[in-house]
Amino acid sequence: MSATGPLAPDPGRRRFLRRLGMAGAAVGGAAAVGPAALGGASTRSSRRRDLARGHVPGHPAHQGHDGQSGMGTVGQVDHARNGFDPHAMLTDFDGGTTSRDRSGRTVREYAIVAAPKEIEVAPGVFFPAWAYNGRVPGPTIRATAGDRIRITFTNGSAHPHTIHFHGIHPAAMDGVPGAGEVHPGERFVYDFVAEPFGTHLYHCHSLPLANHIHRGLYGAFIVDPPGGRPPANEMVMVMNAFDTDFDGENEIYAANTVAFAYMDRPITMRRGELQRVHVVNITEFDPINSIHLHANFFDLYRTGTSLEPHEFTDTISMGQAERHMIEFRYDTPGRFMFHAHQSEFVELGWMGFFEVEE
Amino acid sequence: MTAGARSTAVTPAPGGAGRAAARAAVPVAGLLALVVLLVAFDPIGAITDAPPVEELAVERTVLTDGEIELRVRNDGPDPVTVAQVIVNDAYWAHTVSDRTLTRLDTATVRVPYPWEEGLPLHIRMVSSTGATFDHEIDVATGTPERDGRSLGVYALLGLAIGVVPVALGLLWLPSLRRVSARWIAVALAFTVGLLAFLLVDTVDEGLELAGATGEALGGLELFAVGALVVIVVLLAVESATLRRSASGAAGEVRASGLSLAYLVAVGIGLHNLGEGLAVGAASARGAVALGTALVVGFAVHNLTEGLAIAAPLSEHGPGGGVSAGHLAGLVAVAGLPTVPGAWLGAYAFSPAWAALAFGVAAGAIAQVLWVVGRHLLATPDGRSGAAAAGFVVALVVMYVTGLAVV
Repeated sequence: MSATGPLAPDPGRRRFLRRLGMAGAAVGGAAAVGPAALGGASTRSSRRRDLARGHVPGHPAHQGHDGQSGMGTVGQVDHARNGFDPHAMLTDFDGGTTSRDRSGRTVREYAIVAAPKEIEVAPGVFFPAWAYNGRVPGPTIRATAGDRIRITFTNGSAHPHTIHFHGIHPAAMDGVPGAGEVHPGERFVYDFVAEPFGTHLYHCHSLPLANHIHRGLYGAFIVDPPGGRPPANEMVMVMNAFDTDFDGENEIYAANTVAFAYMDRPITMRRGELQRVHVVNITEFDPINSIHLHANFFDLYRTGTSLEPHEFTDTISMGQAERHMIEFRYDTPGRFMFHAHQSEFVELGWMGFFEVEE
Repeated sequence: MTAGARSTAVTPAPGGAGRAAARAAVPVAGLLALVVLLVAFDPIGAITDAPPVEELAVERTVLTDGEIELRVRNDGPDPVTVAQVIVNDAYWAHTVSDRTLTRLDTATVRVPYPWEEGLPLHIRMVSSTGATFDHEIDVATGTPERDGRSLGVYALLGLAIGVVPVALGLLWLPSLRRVSARWIAVALAFTVGLLAFLLVDTVDEGLELAGATGEALGGLELFAVGALVVIVVLLAVESATLRRSASGAAGEVRASGLSLAYLVAVGIGLHNLGEGLAVGAASARGAVALGTALVVGFAVHNLTEGLAIAAPLSEHGPGGGVSAGHLAGLVAVAGLPTVPGAWLGAYAFSPAWAALAFGVAAGAIAQVLWVVGRHLLATPDGRSGAAAAGFVVALVVMYVTGLAVV
């Protein structure tokens, strides 16, 4: 992108500091060492006392989440224009077109196209994404362990792409340069058996890797155990982020792409109902991401590969491509927050609410 | 008359003028046609398909209780839409008077935010394309309100660093009048040295401000235009005055001491306008508590400016009277601009206007330097070693007293 970043500095102030020269040498460093360094300034002392008492000159900022005051974005994302809705994506599991092969094995067939698409990642902020089937994250592919997966992948963009699945499969089906990389306008069929059961993901593995991933070519890949799991309200949250100005740092963090989507419109659930959330971290540029539930604890199934929980906790951190299955219930109605526990990510979009109803 | 007849019915005499006018209009018409073709077919766009170049400059920051207000200008070629605002790494509710800014448009961004006195603020605006524009406030402090009290304080500040020292410096005039012509040349040389120092100082500040000005407004061009226009205007004024005062005296065209003193006062006054601007802007940004040391430094520094104005007047000799009214006028011209300078700096600072103001000051000083220098060299002792020493002493004194503030 073509932003010329830094704005005009305040020349008056800089000039002033320079003018102070010997007299005010400490002022330049004041910002770095905090308010204590400003002690010499007598007219500040009354304000500084206020600061010490915790009073701030502003009115209370965190007045709620109506989007008109305090933390958050201003305006609404046009989900219809995007062609996908973060709320619908939570429970949008794609089992493909099923049939049975001669051995009786279930075959799930998918058609996936990679193409560039401009998506609105925060109200009014558009990102030149690369998307599988027009959505970021791509479709949630769901199968049962042992099912045969056949994905006809078409590359509708100007760059080579792949679909690299996290799972157990032959080398030829790995979806990397040299094995299943698809050039513009061409197609390839990924054909493998879904193993092992768990919460997995897929993503493009063409080079440069960081760019192909953070542009939006990823999705969840859920493999159920052969015997199934207890009934629950199941959801998928792909923790992602967007470097909208392409400087190697993210401006937007979210679960399922749109900043504050679940803050502006909470996820509703019934009191006492078992909730099962497949949480996948695909955040680029930051080493970890996390999820934290308020006023509750969850059973953690690491990578979803066990039928028994590994841990009972309320916060779990994940590196890129780490993913877990969490289960919980809310026993009282009310509004409960959930978010990354990197505060910076929270305030840059990755936070939401569960609205627990009777 | 038919239409065909009218088109050819051109009488020779006015027709000549008409043809000349028509011929003169050809380049303009040609240019218009070129513009229309370029806009209509956009051949450049067809080969480059360049993404938009978005730029946004923050021209003014106002911090009030619980609110950050930024005045922003699109100083790039393409439209910019301000979509979101991030304050210290958090998206924050805000209003923008006009989210989509075309080239050179301005808008006001208001963010209700519990900023803290004395701590830095990092404000980032995100455009519709995801481009980001950062604005750093090193030390947050409330912007002074435009009430009577703060107006008074800034006026006092201006008086203390501009008017009072100049007036005090002028008090050297009686002593100067009793000294020999040789010493008067030294004093004039001192004036020339001071002006040379102020010129360097003003150019330095002006160029720094020009660098801080957004590209589209062309800070350097504003600075240069300010300087050149003032030089030309002052040259015209000077030659008109000198022609009148010389009243036909052949060859020897010399300014009177009083008109020279006024020229020096104008140069110094415009410099002090810029100085007031810098001090006002700086103290409004939160270092006013340190201002007392600063004001003392400026006062000492500017005392020499009074001496510089007194030097040309001393040529009138002990008897040659300069009325009290003229003395007051000289002080006002040289010192008073500091007051509006301080107000402008405190309440309406913008790097572009400041660059222009410093350009004007630099041009004025350069021109006055030229006039006074020429005058000095025309005096019998103007090229003496003593005069050279006076010039050097001025530079040294300005440098040393400037250490406290510059």
